[in-house]
Amino acid sequence: MTLPVDHASHGTVNLGELLTRVDNDYELLGELIGVFKEEYPLLLQSLRHSIACGDLLSVEATSHALKGMLSGLSMTDAAAVACRLETLGRDGKTTELTEALTLLECGVAESLPKLDAYIEEANL
Amino acid sequence: MKILIADDDRISRRLLMKTLEREGYEVIAVDNGKLALQQLSLPDGPRLALLDWMMPELNGPGVCSEIRKQHERPYIHIVLVTSKKEKRDIVAGLEAGADDYLTKPWDPAELTARLRVGQRILQLEDRLVEARETMRFKATHDPLTSLFNRGVIVDLLARELTRTRREGGCTVLMLGDLDHFKSVNDGYGHVVGDEVLREVARRLLGAVRSYDFVGRYGGEEFLIVLNNCNSNHAVVRAEEVRNGIANHPIQTILGPLPITMSLGVFASSDWNLNLVEEVLAEVDTALYRAKATGRNCVRLAEPNASSCVLGQLLK
Repeated sequence: MTLPVDHASHGTVNLGELLTRVDNDYELLGELIGVFKEEYPLLLQSLRHSIACGDLLSVEATSHALKGMLSGLSMTDAAAVACRLETLGRDGKTTELTEALTLLECGVAESLPKLDAYIEEANL
Repeated sequence: MKILIADDDRISRRLLMKTLEREGYEVIAVDNGKLALQQLSLPDGPRLALLDWMMPELNGPGVCSEIRKQHERPYIHIVLVTSKKEKRDIVAGLEAGADDYLTKPWDPAELTARLRVGQRILQLEDRLVEARETMRFKATHDPLTSLFNRGVIVDLLARELTRTRREGGCTVLMLGDLDHFKSVNDGYGHVVGDEVLREVARRLLGAVRSYDFVGRYGGEEFLIVLNNCNSNHAVVRAEEVRNGIANHPIQTILGPLPITMSLGVFASSDWNLNLVEEVLAEVDTALYRAKATGRNCVRLAEPNASSCVLGQLLK
């Protein structure tokens, strides 16, 4: 099951896959989203800093960490962008980093409310 | 069963923990490779491990390489969990010592199925090790008494003689033979004879220190090798062994049987012999003297001397 998304968006969440992964445990899902909300701003800040400094090793490592978290929560579009950032960092393609970062932020900004809404609905 | 999860991603770690706890695993979770290596190196550490590829301190393949250097410990089944999907990465992980890999984001059913495969492999490994140990024991021990067999006790004697010669110490060798044992077998049957041999073996082991060696040399003959034993104490120790047998009848299915043992004793520091065959010949001669002078006694092998009666020695 995939939440309906606007084709122009970058916020696809594969909810069916995610629910299978957490074994329909909404409490666990809520806990994981909470962890993401704690970790994401720190990683994002670190990524912005690394891009600004041209620290490609750090770009690669931070993007990899973000990719793991995003794919763990089945935020598929955002995870794909994080994967692209990781590749860009590894390949040294600095010109595309800022654009990819923006896409990542958009993706998370669109995905996260969907997950929040789902949890809220499940708790009602 | 214990399982280690090593992942620096909190979400992935928590998800894996919850999934595996549901499956009944006892989960230990760490967030870097160094801690993973520590946990896996513990004597009773987990034998199943899920390692993230990229981790602080030491990455997953690095942990695999270190673990595979530890040859003396039970096998650990390692699954690398990675978002690296390229063939060359997978090959590198397996070459580093991983047994399997799982790509992120993982599917719970695939994860648990792969871990069950790992458990089956570990069970097979355990059975192989057990079979090997059983075979090793059978190859080195006497089946009736479970003492070292003749080949092993003679090898141990040779090794100890070499060591004490090098270190300037003394190895004491005792060759004990049960008196009139043929009459036990002939009179009471081999079942009783076997009971006697087993009990004698037990008493001999009880009479020596944990680091001494006891072996069955022949039918009713036993070799005892005492490491770093003062030659002045050799006969006293042999007398303790003799008393250990003679002082209490052996309980058998046909009732108690009085059993005695004659012993020849050899202290390496009193001699200048290099060959184990020569040592065995001298201790055998001393045993023969014990038999010839009435049995149930101890005789010391002495250079340039005939037998030495225990009573005289102790006076």
